Amino acid sequence: MPSFAQLLVALVQVLLLAAAAPLASGCLRVLRAKMHTRHGPGVLQDYRDLVKLLKRQDVRPPAAGFAFRVMPIVMPATLLVIGMGLPILTRATPIAALGDLITTIYLFALARFFFALSGLDSGSSFAGIGASRELTLGVLVEPAMLLALFTVALLVGSTNLGDIGTAVAAGRPQAIAATLLAGIAFAFTCYIELGKLPYDMAEAEQELQEGPLTEYSGPSLALVKWSLSLKQLVVVAWFVGTFVPFGSATETTFSALAIGLLAFVVKVAVTLFAVGVVENSVARARFRLTSRHTWLGLGIASLAFVFHLAGL
Amino acid sequence: MSATDLLLLSLALFSLGGVAGLLLRANDRAAIGAAGFAGAAGGAVGLVAGLLALTAPAATVDLGGPFPFARLLLRLDPLSGLMVAVICGLALVASIYSLAYVREYAGRGVGAMGFFTLSFVASMVMVVTCDDAFWFIVFFEMMSLASYFLVIFDQNEEAVSAGFLYFLVAHAGSVAIMAAFFLMANAAGSFEFADFRAHRPSELVASIAFVLALLGFGAKAGMIPLHIWLPRAHPAAPSHASALMSGVMIKIGIFGVVKVGIDLLGGTVAWWGLLVLALGAISSVLGVIYALAEHDIKKLLAYHSVENIGIIMLGVGTGMIGLAEGRPLVAVLGLMAGLYHLVNHAVFKGLLFLGAGSVIYRVHTKDMEEMGGLGRTMPWTSMSFLIGALAISAIPPLNGFVSEWYTYQSLFVAALDGTFAVRFATPIAATLLALTGALAVMCFVKAYGVVFSGAPRSRHAAEATEVPAPMVIGMVLLAAACVVLGLAAPAIAPVLASAAAATLGLSTVTVADGALLMPGDGGHTVLSTPLVALLLIGLATLPALIASISSVARRAPRRGEAPWACGYVPDGHMTVSAGSFAQPIRMFFAPLYAVRRSVAAVDRAIEARFDGFVAACRRNETIFDTRLVEPVVDAAVRIGRRAQVLQSGDLRIYCLYIVAALVALLLVTLH
Repeated sequence: MPSFAQLLVALVQVLLLAAAAPLASGCLRVLRAKMHTRHGPGVLQDYRDLVKLLKRQDVRPPAAGFAFRVMPIVMPATLLVIGMGLPILTRATPIAALGDLITTIYLFALARFFFALSGLDSGSSFAGIGASRELTLGVLVEPAMLLALFTVALLVGSTNLGDIGTAVAAGRPQAIAATLLAGIAFAFTCYIELGKLPYDMAEAEQELQEGPLTEYSGPSLALVKWSLSLKQLVVVAWFVGTFVPFGSATETTFSALAIGLLAFVVKVAVTLFAVGVVENSVARARFRLTSRHTWLGLGIASLAFVFHLAGL
Repeated sequence: MSATDLLLLSLALFSLGGVAGLLLRANDRAAIGAAGFAGAAGGAVGLVAGLLALTAPAATVDLGGPFPFARLLLRLDPLSGLMVAVICGLALVASIYSLAYVREYAGRGVGAMGFFTLSFVASMVMVVTCDDAFWFIVFFEMMSLASYFLVIFDQNEEAVSAGFLYFLVAHAGSVAIMAAFFLMANAAGSFEFADFRAHRPSELVASIAFVLALLGFGAKAGMIPLHIWLPRAHPAAPSHASALMSGVMIKIGIFGVVKVGIDLLGGTVAWWGLLVLALGAISSVLGVIYALAEHDIKKLLAYHSVENIGIIMLGVGTGMIGLAEGRPLVAVLGLMAGLYHLVNHAVFKGLLFLGAGSVIYRVHTKDMEEMGGLGRTMPWTSMSFLIGALAISAIPPLNGFVSEWYTYQSLFVAALDGTFAVRFATPIAATLLALTGALAVMCFVKAYGVVFSGAPRSRHAAEATEVPAPMVIGMVLLAAACVVLGLAAPAIAPVLASAAAATLGLSTVTVADGALLMPGDGGHTVLSTPLVALLLIGLATLPALIASISSVARRAPRRGEAPWACGYVPDGHMTVSAGSFAQPIRMFFAPLYAVRRSVAAVDRAIEARFDGFVAACRRNETIFDTRLVEPVVDAAVRIGRRAQVLQSGDLRIYCLYIVAALVALLLVTLH
């Protein structure tokens, strides 16, 4: 069981993530505007959107039931739990009982389950198609994600994300090529998980009217939009904490944690900048051809696994 | 009372209930009540017996029996205790459920249904406890026959043809099992399992026996490619019987593999485990892929049984690899993961089949496209089904996740070391398990979403009401079990680990400490389902608070107009259907569906061969007539004709015969 200090670190890091999530998506909007040579809204626009939505009335379609009602609560709660288990400020996971790679993958499945179910529950055809696509992407991405993490876990000898991060930071995995390839495969699958172009399938605004979000309004929409931006940060933190753990705190002193926070902000900013640049320079991939892209991810992960077997 | 006494008592209760059901068949209500209550009582007693045996040393009772060559021995060890607990636990719930559900079948022989259901349960209990190959086969056949009669209960064309296919596969399987037992009996010199354990055959013979047993029990378990009967037979039976068939009967197949491979043959050969692992991986992926394409809710669930059998086999296979390679941690973890998933699958698959039965009870169709919107009218059924759907999709912190986590961990620990084949195969199995998990999520979002969410798509669905209390109680009990088996995993896992270790003949490993779950000292990782649940609930208060503050401050949520459909008037056909929801998967995984078509072609070819075989038998049956019987008859007739010449009917000639005979006799005596 986690000690009080560990619990505190976990809570602080996840609340920071939650608070900063709209800021991160606001920054991405500014970046997009700049790349389009527009002025665009300020970085705080997403906070203003959320406040505005929270003031509106919630309107639900007549067919909507239980799943539609609880999704705006289950999804952020799940993401917050995932956030508590990731090594973000510290090198090790603050709560080891949450920081297992399999637990993390399946907690994402919990969020996905309700996100997609709410789409079906709304009775809207756009939301239904969005739900179907969301789950299809999960099917295509999860095997590659697991194989990439599994390979590096085998190199390290532990499925705990913090242990993997610690070993990577210490340069312990003997097979450097396998670690690198696993990192690339994991980065690729994380990028698909972000739901950015060219893989903006489930919440495709132009194609599907934001998929499962179609029928949400008012406070519910605010919560879902907030959790989608939180999901971006959590996925990025997952990648950064596992494969780029440099700078995070190895002991729980205040100064070490502050440096860890600074390092984390820098790493996330760089990652999100790269994500934004990619997102705004590509066109949407055709949904029916997505599997070709995900096969590439699985291919890289398999290569990493083969390199691991060969000991390279 | 000892566990064995309780076991005998529960068997007596099952038999009594079955006979009472038959005797009271004239009075439907009485027959349903007798079978239901006796089944529930027997189930409860048997559940206690099984749980007691889980932690106790093995105990044997000798019931004698009429045959001098085979004593009827009942043996309760941790493995059979676990199986008895699972069978009886599900029988208890299914019996409660049947009290209301079977009224749907009133006037169609509910007494016989009760008799077959209870003899089915009793024979399963006997199969897992008996300690003699001869009686094992007898009870195995009884189990197949009783379930065959349940499959064909509806007496329509589909049920009868599904039943026939089931009958064929079940018997082909038992022939393979019999052959395996004969090989072992040959080496042991007796039919008793105790002698099988003491005198094991040579490695070659053992391998042949194991493969035969794997085929035979695999056919019973519904492992791909021997699964063809399962998606046809399970949906045809009444839903509480489907729950028993899918929840526990197919587990007898797994039990058989463990019994023969590990207990009787000692599990000394590494490739046996790899074979089980490979078949498990194939079954899990293909099972769920085919489930996704189904519209019939019970067929969908039946294909998921194929998938989950695959997942259990991943654990069992890993355990066998560990045993053969002399790695106790891998062996105990793997078998324990398999057993844990076996228990979990019995619980959530039983729950889902009972839920499907409740829906069918109201909507009167198995086609999911005719359902929809039942979440509001059937709240208990829908919540129980949702818990079952989350559990089978391995969503934390429910029970399905715990056993899959252990399965992953056992694969991980196995991949850390050992031969190249093991280090190569286990991560691939883990990847396929991840694919299976993602597909299962999709499939159960579809199943729950299409059945319970959105707007009703038929008149029956719109008029549905909640099912009667006994059915609700049955489902709620199993839903609660899903939660308990997940959250109380730190208390349950060590018991299963010790049962697995006892089966393997190894010492147990630490799989839990306090509220933490851990894979021994292998993966250096921990999990805590109670903590996950606590944090999920705790952190859900934050968004819930935000939502409630804003709705208190402003206005309460309002139910609006129809969903937005680009300005058109939305109607039911615009919403996503079961078919269109799974369409992307059918597109991306088209080659795997092509496999099914070719398997179906093989299936048809087998059926055609079988028809040909029957025709040939019919032709050849007459060989005896034409070659043997007819010539004899002809000869007799011919002799008769000749004899007729003597009998002309003239009295004088008869007098002549008498005189001639007298003369002849006189000559003989004088001589």
